[in-house]
Amino acid sequence: MLVLSRREHQSIMIGDDIEIVVLDIRGEQVRLGIRAPKDVTILRQEIYAQVQQQNVEATETRPEDVPG
Amino acid sequence: MNVETLRFGTIEFEEDEVLLFPEGILGFEECKRYVVLQHGECSPFFWLQSLDRPEVAFLVADPAGFEPTYAPEMPPGVAQLLRLDENTPRLVYAILSIPHGKPKQMTANLAGPIVVNVAERLACQVVVEDGQWSTKHPVFVGSGGEEQSASAAA
Repeated sequence: MLVLSRREHQSIMIGDDIEIVVLDIRGEQVRLGIRAPKDVTILRQEIYAQVQQQNVEATETRPEDVPG
Repeated sequence: MNVETLRFGTIEFEEDEVLLFPEGILGFEECKRYVVLQHGECSPFFWLQSLDRPEVAFLVADPAGFEPTYAPEMPPGVAQLLRLDENTPRLVYAILSIPHGKPKQMTANLAGPIVVNVAERLACQVVVEDGQWSTKHPVFVGSGGEEQSASAAA
């Protein structure tokens, strides 16, 4: 993993069209601003992990438990 | 064409029935081709059966059947991936989970709906991040809780 140190109002570029700006740092929270093309999906990692975990759980579902 | 499946034995399908998930389903990225099987005649439930892994199948249903207000915002990129425009007929499925032996505790993953471009047979799982919809949305409101308290009492 690439590790970079940044201060408030500094940013990083990913490729030439995605910019991530450190807006401010308050205690344990960092606020980030993201500039990216409209077709790029940006989500918190946790929600991805939750959906993935639920998918794995869903494959345990058995036909005999389905109502009707 | 025939394919072996874990739950349904050998199933027969036509090539034009295959749904292509170019990006797979989260956690199952290597499974790109699925067919939709109705659970039973007139059943509102369907199985999304992988053609790539016989043991991978998801129980799905139209979320409008149990959550009429469900209209999640599509993130950018989905329209492009599925070649959707405003008028393209589309289907939305929610993946369902049933804890073994407890059908009334069925939940729907409304944070990760499956969106299908019916005409092009293209589909993907969309991750919805509006905080309103959970990955474990109860399908049978009330009854799941009753069953839970009943089993807690026993």
